[in-house]
Amino acid sequence: MTADTTPTRRSFLKGGALLAAPLAAALPAALVADDRLRARLEKLEDEAAVHKLHQAWLRQINTRSGDAATPLFADSEGAAFDQSVRSIAADHAGQPDAIEVAADGQSAAGRFHCAVEIETTIAQDCTLARMAHAQGGGFVRRTERRVLKVEYMKASGAWAIAKVEFASV
Amino acid sequence: MPGTPYPKEQMHRIAYTKLSERQIADKLSTVAVSGPTSASPLSDVFAGKSIQIVTDKGPALAYTFSRGNRLSVAENGGGAVEAGYGALTLSSVAFFSHMIPGTQRGYAVVVDQDTNLAAVFELWFSGYEDKREVQREIYYGYVEQPGQEAPKARHVTTNRVEGKGFYWKQDTGAETLEFYPSAAYSNFVELSRLGGELGFCAPSDYIKINDDFYIYTRTECEFSGTFTAYVMDLNRVEQVGVRLGFDSNDELEYYVFRGKGEWLGQIAQFEKFGDENGSPVPAAAAGQTPAKGARRVYRPLRTMAKMSKADVDAAVAKRASAFPAATTGPGAQMGGNRGPSTGWLAGKTFTLRYDHAPAMEYRFDDAETLNWRKEGDSGWTKARYQAWESTPGVILYGHLLDGAPNHDGHSIVVDFHQGLVTCFNGYLNTPYFANEAGVKILFGVIEMEGLIPPKYNRHQFTDEMVGRAVSQNYAPGLTSMHLYTTPHSLSWIIFTDADAGGLEWSGPAAYVKIRDGLYFMYWLEEACNGTLGTILVNLHTMRDVGVGYSCGTNGLSMSAVGAHERLAGRFDITRFYQVKS
Repeated sequence: MTADTTPTRRSFLKGGALLAAPLAAALPAALVADDRLRARLEKLEDEAAVHKLHQAWLRQINTRSGDAATPLFADSEGAAFDQSVRSIAADHAGQPDAIEVAADGQSAAGRFHCAVEIETTIAQDCTLARMAHAQGGGFVRRTERRVLKVEYMKASGAWAIAKVEFASV
Repeated sequence: MPGTPYPKEQMHRIAYTKLSERQIADKLSTVAVSGPTSASPLSDVFAGKSIQIVTDKGPALAYTFSRGNRLSVAENGGGAVEAGYGALTLSSVAFFSHMIPGTQRGYAVVVDQDTNLAAVFELWFSGYEDKREVQREIYYGYVEQPGQEAPKARHVTTNRVEGKGFYWKQDTGAETLEFYPSAAYSNFVELSRLGGELGFCAPSDYIKINDDFYIYTRTECEFSGTFTAYVMDLNRVEQVGVRLGFDSNDELEYYVFRGKGEWLGQIAQFEKFGDENGSPVPAAAAGQTPAKGARRVYRPLRTMAKMSKADVDAAVAKRASAFPAATTGPGAQMGGNRGPSTGWLAGKTFTLRYDHAPAMEYRFDDAETLNWRKEGDSGWTKARYQAWESTPGVILYGHLLDGAPNHDGHSIVVDFHQGLVTCFNGYLNTPYFANEAGVKILFGVIEMEGLIPPKYNRHQFTDEMVGRAVSQNYAPGLTSMHLYTTPHSLSWIIFTDADAGGLEWSGPAAYVKIRDGLYFMYWLEEACNGTLGTILVNLHTMRDVGVGYSCGTNGLSMSAVGAHERLAGRFDITRFYQVKS
């Protein structure tokens, strides 16, 4: 006796129902995963944009070449940076760079351990100082380890620097 | 009766004529045709030859040399012009110079015949507001050799000459001491022309031909504007070169010369080992392209406040400040390494009896307040002072003399171990600019209870510092070096960020020996900013302390000076300042 092994529509439906049940349950999860991926992607993109902005700013500082065509600061107040800073280099003996984008994706904060070269201009109040300036000098340079704390904000879809602060290590 | 070798006015006091372009052109017209004169026989090394000099960023010069010191030159393929020239050789190095007729330009050219490398100095007048000042641009290149590749090497600017000093005697009879304590400036003492009383400074170039031969130039900016260039053989101590410019009588000097000399010594360099940068002072600011002939020139007289006696009186009445308490302000940085002051004088009373000036009586209230009066006066005048004990028993202190008609300030070394005093008495209302300080040197004794001073012994002028170089670090970024080039003048060299010698200037000075290794000295920044600097140099502790005294539109100021020092060596030069019968 052979068993009727021909699948019937019912059995198919039954099996289908059995198969369909997990699919139906998985759809919302995929959507969630998609959102998470999208959010993660957006976060990564924001972090990359902030990192790029930071690099552009470092380039301006280290080359002393302000580029008016690509404003980096949200406002002129934030751009009022300590002019005594001549260069900023990564401090590889310090902690890794950290960029944290806020949940709403509209602001971010960065912490960068760095070596800051600071130049202090010597007042021209004596012959020696005047001669030092006359030959293109007249300053004292020193390098200090600092933590660069930077606040960023997104305006019109673009990131800009809101505030820069140097903190002691 | 023999005359003295001294000029009526020293170089920094001569009012050199502001020659016009026309006057300069007229005087050049003759020598452009005849060429420079020479006391030595000229070389015919180039006679009958044609050479092409190629320079990297400058002109291509096609020369044809005839007999009789005539040449024709074509610049950059242009038409040839004829001119007189003078050539001299030093071993394999040939040097020649000529002007371009009808212009205010000319050349001095150095050719190393062993390598065919060339250094070309283009020279011209009327390139600066003081038209008599010779301008120069230096081009490096080579003499083209038909069928041969252009050499890759070049003569280069160098600091390898820095720290050297030579006595030179030209075939003209001119004798000089020349010191190269900087890679951008030099110091020269005109022994025969001016009697060697003072040394002067000028922007200079130093170029390496090879390890033994170098080129040196100086332009006497702020003075006559005269240009000197020579090739020197450091081993044989011989030179060939050119002098071009207008002297103090506006007579044109244009001659090539040969000279011999003596090596005077070598002082220290402070650059990092391996640093042979010959351009430590950039000709233009960072990011800017220097104009042709540009260089950094210290021109202090241009910026000096030039005040009348009335101006000085008004400025001093408005403000007279001694040792301001603030750590900032005029001159504060120069006292950065002065060390702690002493309160030893507080409560003391004594009289400083000077041999040739009124005795000064003192009562010291505390560590920063004293009362003084001239012997015979009834009233005391209160003054702020500061004092430093440089070595046990020797104290330097300074104060202003409020009410003195010339606004005097005293910088005083009291030597309690010998009962002696030396005072540098600064004063204003001097002949050239009323705000420029003058100084009287007062020797004497201390009269004090329990102290018996000597009858005849006094601190003495000394030449023990002459020839020495001593660096001073006053504060971070403020480092200079004194070079004591004559018994009556010193120069100061300012170090660059890389610790190379940079700009340099000089002024009248004097040195008094207090005891072995302890010297009290002053310098006057004449035709500069008028400051009187006084320091007590302790060669045991290598620290100096002192007092600066100056007047400007902001008033009269006395401030502390103090530096950590380093000995940088010594030139053997005292023999040049002996009186010769």
